[in-house]
Amino acid sequence: MECAHIEERLSGYVERSLPHQEMVEVAEHLQECPGCLNLMEEIRSILVTCQAFPSLEVDTALIDRILIRTSGKPRTRTLRERIRTYFLQPILTPRFAAGAGLVLLFVALAIDLMAPRIGGIAAVLSPGEMLRQMDRGVQKIYSEGLKLNDTKNDWQARFTFYKNDVFRRLGFMIEQLDVPVETQKKPAGPKQPEKGPKQKSSVSLFPA
Amino acid sequence: MLPGDEKVVERCLQGDDAAWEMVVNQYAKRIYNLSYRYTCRRDDAEDLTQEIFIRVYQNLKSFRTESGSFQSWIMRVGRNLIIDHFRRTRRFQQVAGTEEMETMNLKDDTLPSPHRSVEQSEASRFLSDGLQALPPELKEAIILRDLEGMAYMEIAELLAIPEGTVKSRINRARLELARLLSKRRLQLGMQA
Repeated sequence: MECAHIEERLSGYVERSLPHQEMVEVAEHLQECPGCLNLMEEIRSILVTCQAFPSLEVDTALIDRILIRTSGKPRTRTLRERIRTYFLQPILTPRFAAGAGLVLLFVALAIDLMAPRIGGIAAVLSPGEMLRQMDRGVQKIYSEGLKLNDTKNDWQARFTFYKNDVFRRLGFMIEQLDVPVETQKKPAGPKQPEKGPKQKSSVSLFPA
Repeated sequence: MLPGDEKVVERCLQGDDAAWEMVVNQYAKRIYNLSYRYTCRRDDAEDLTQEIFIRVYQNLKSFRTESGSFQSWIMRVGRNLIIDHFRRTRRFQQVAGTEEMETMNLKDDTLPSPHRSVEQSEASRFLSDGLQALPPELKEAIILRDLEGMAYMEIAELLAIPEGTVKSRINRARLELARLLSKRRLQLGMQA
């Protein structure tokens, strides 16, 4: 087979899109013809290089420009972009970095100062110790509550006692009092002698 | 046509901004890369991408499903504008793979190791120089097939030529480029 005929099929051979018979014929020719073999190797190398060409990423600003110039509305931002735009970008500033640095310095100094007591603090902050502290606190609150209840009962009993005593005294005092009952006066006539002893009346405000 | 493209176009025509945003997001990268392959300048590629989408937006009504896929239609609009731009400025640079490669936004997963990156950059530059020397129609064939990875049928649809012609043009372009690069390698004393 002639070289010109083979050259027409080289792309197909490299892409393996030729019929089986033609693939065999081209392969046989390539074994005998160094010129065509070099050409085939060069095409293969071109294809490999082309495949390795990187693909460019589109800048989001370009998409924004396109959308504003066409539909008039900017691009819908994803959650990630929103977080970056509204949260991360304002935070990631030199001022924030300086502040964060100062805070870190302060924390480091505080830890350095507390280092000797760190064992005790760690023991206090252990879960078992924290539970014990909580239990103690609850017991204390409960006992305070009981004490308050006792005091309340004591005061209540005293109040009842004094109240009853006062009422009892008042009742006694009222019983001792004489309360006269007013009778109708007769308009004229001789004064009749009193038939009996003067009536006495008393009103008991409280039951005996 | 990608599933749902037709409906998305209909929604765009009804004034649905979200649908249009979807179209832009879906095709921006492809259009931008295509523009960059032709112009090899990021600023030009950005301007062209913008112009292409404005043209697409203005001409959405003229899209007909019978005449091909929406993707092909967008690519055709893009290619026509790129060719216009070329005629206007007469300054198609070498194809991507120049100094700009070192500063462009690469996808994280495609970032090679530094040593490999240098090798690839060298190979890309060598290839770009070769492509620059090809006639425009052959260069276009390589860009669409080997750099953009388009299928023969898509290229045929885009260029409005038979698929057989596309295949032979691509083969011719590869042969030309291979001879050119081989010759240059010999001159430089390099190995393939």
